[in-house]
Amino acid sequence: MDTSPGALAQAEITAQEQRGTRLSTLFTGRRWPIFKLTFVTGVLTVLTLGLYRFWQKTRVRRWYWSAIRPGGHPLEYVGDPYEKLLGFLIAVVILAFYIGVVNLLLMFASFSLFQGNVAAYALSFVGVVPIWFYARYRARRYVLARTRWMGLRFGLAPGAWGYALRALWHWFLTLITLGLLWPRMTFKLEKYRTDRTWFGDHRMEQGGSWTMLFWTIKWHLAALGVALVCLPILGAGLVPLAIFGFCLSGLLLVFGAVYYRVETRKRLTGEKRLGSIRLHLKVNPLRVFWILVSGYALSLLVAAIPTGFLLVLFFRLQSAETLTEIGMDEMSQILAGADRWALVGLTVMSYFAVFLLWSALTQAWVTLPITRLYARGLTVEGAQALPAIRQRPRDEHIEAEGFAEALDVGASL
Amino acid sequence: MQKTEAQFFDGLTAGRHDVHVALSDDRQAMIITGDTLPEPLRWTLMDLRALSDTGHTDRLTLTRHAETDDEAPRDPARLVLLDPELIAWMHRTRPGLFRADMHKGTWRKIGIYTGGAVAAAGLMLFVILPAMANTLAQIIPIEREIAFGKVVVRQMERVLGSGSGSLRCTDPAGIAALDKMVTRLTETREMQYQISSQVFDHGMVNAFAAPGGQVVVLRGLLEAAESPEEVAGVLAHEIGHVESRDATRHALRTAGSAGLLTMIIGDFSGGAAIALVGEKLMTAAYSREAEAAADLFALDMLQQADVSADGFARFFDELDDLQGIEIPAYLSTHPITADRADQARDFAREQSGTRPILSDAEWRALQNICR
Repeated sequence: MDTSPGALAQAEITAQEQRGTRLSTLFTGRRWPIFKLTFVTGVLTVLTLGLYRFWQKTRVRRWYWSAIRPGGHPLEYVGDPYEKLLGFLIAVVILAFYIGVVNLLLMFASFSLFQGNVAAYALSFVGVVPIWFYARYRARRYVLARTRWMGLRFGLAPGAWGYALRALWHWFLTLITLGLLWPRMTFKLEKYRTDRTWFGDHRMEQGGSWTMLFWTIKWHLAALGVALVCLPILGAGLVPLAIFGFCLSGLLLVFGAVYYRVETRKRLTGEKRLGSIRLHLKVNPLRVFWILVSGYALSLLVAAIPTGFLLVLFFRLQSAETLTEIGMDEMSQILAGADRWALVGLTVMSYFAVFLLWSALTQAWVTLPITRLYARGLTVEGAQALPAIRQRPRDEHIEAEGFAEALDVGASL
Repeated sequence: MQKTEAQFFDGLTAGRHDVHVALSDDRQAMIITGDTLPEPLRWTLMDLRALSDTGHTDRLTLTRHAETDDEAPRDPARLVLLDPELIAWMHRTRPGLFRADMHKGTWRKIGIYTGGAVAAAGLMLFVILPAMANTLAQIIPIEREIAFGKVVVRQMERVLGSGSGSLRCTDPAGIAALDKMVTRLTETREMQYQISSQVFDHGMVNAFAAPGGQVVVLRGLLEAAESPEEVAGVLAHEIGHVESRDATRHALRTAGSAGLLTMIIGDFSGGAAIALVGEKLMTAAYSREAEAAADLFALDMLQQADVSADGFARFFDELDDLQGIEIPAYLSTHPITADRADQARDFAREQSGTRPILSDAEWRALQNICR
């Protein structure tokens, strides 16, 4: 039997056509190509002092979009690197004055009112938060406007300031209730975004209510419970047992965060509607957790190689004696002949190699498997209504994701 | 090219058309026919483009180069080829298949906005931020500046000592000698700031001025110096920084320019390092002026206090020897030391009636301040 992705895709399309209206999603991307793509574009980005990052982002997105195939038809990313560059330049023109002046004034204020610069950093963080939410919404709007499926555009209606205000309000509520209303925030913000999302001329709707997400915080509560039980144990002097308990609690907390993210997404997706079309998402939180743990562990292991090399070079730059002392005479002799500037060059290169390798490794071992898991878990029901959907007009969105880019919002994928 | 099955999306609805493609009789175009298409379509081979950077090789998605208002000048319709032979044939015969087309005027727009961004950033970095920093540095109340300076000194202490307690050297005789030196330098002139000086137990040959009149000398400098006049020269130089509020100005300006540079360089792998180098270059440009001004201030101060500038010159000579790696002038925060040494030596030659700043015993006490 032919098991190449292409043949499988063909077989899947035929099978789905026989079944009728339920479309499952295929994922055809493999690790090695995305590793290469991320690494090579990363090198180009460093060599161009960051300029190539707009191309990198575009190319990586094109790759992922083309690998995700609901109903056997790949998504298409039509975003353009030039428009990203342009959007970024526009954002720089606008934000240059804002960021520079605001930062300086905050520093001045903290000089005159407080005794240090910590207050200034805290203040400047608070000053940026609303723009941060604003930029996130704008970036999402840009990505959706440049995503197509079966030739039709997605879209997100304008509403970035409304989103920023709501996000601030919900964060406030979440903080004063010590996190108990976090699921409510997740639901409300997702509903705000989903209700403004379009596919062609059809608007999406988020059904359900926030209470359906409430129990997704159960692992957080369990972590809290274990920690609370450990306090009297610690008080009773059973230190090793208490430490074990706290470690368990920490592990539960990390798992809880993963569980929360996966489970809320599942439940929210299950209640999304596009006309008579419904979505269904089936993902096991434990598998996501395992991918995160094993993927990061593997990446750390491999990225440790250039990091070790970097450390050796760094010590070498500090002094040759250090190396001899820690018993690395051989290394020291190899490097002894090298010119000092060549050493500096090597150090700089391995510094960038660490970052590049890390981003490419996590792409191959974390981002890809998780995207694959989500993609394969997604089914579209009621697909017979698809042909009735018509194209929507183009959203020009001239500043692209410039604000998000300039503010490091990390719209990433 | 045989008549082959393919999928067609018209870019108007989400419906899929099952079509056949074949080469036209004049072999210049691809003819797309299908039951669900109102009429056969003719796509000129010259205009054919394919989607690039896809994660698969089992299919080729074609589109057409056309003047549309899309992101790229492309027809929104898509033709998906699945037949391996046809895909191979397309790759073989159409070298321009993956060409990236651009709308007319894209470069002009990019040029204009690059100009705008460079102008905005330049205006901020070289005109607005320095001007604001200068003005604001003048209106910060002095007691606030002193409080902030103390925080900075504490931070420096932590950084230099890697967090291991106080570095402050406390030998009373040494402190008395240092204070005597400062008094001799400052008593003959009008001072804006009360200078408070101290020595840190650290081997680096360096000294620095924090906001609000705090001057810190590191032990390494005292050990490297051959005479108290060398230390006096350095102290006078740092007092010059204090009097012109360089540290405060610098902190204010950096707050603005660092934020701006990180924004421009962005968050790509290791980008923070490039932003850091950029900020260093900026700082270097400013500090060279500030350093030159502080040198002149120091010479003037030495002159008024009847201290020979010879020591100051000798300190630069030693610094020159110490710098193992030749730092290019534009990277260094200080003007080339040989030039500074010559300047101080020329100045010393004109001086007359100088007297020693410390006695031998006091000088030994100062050198042993950390014992």
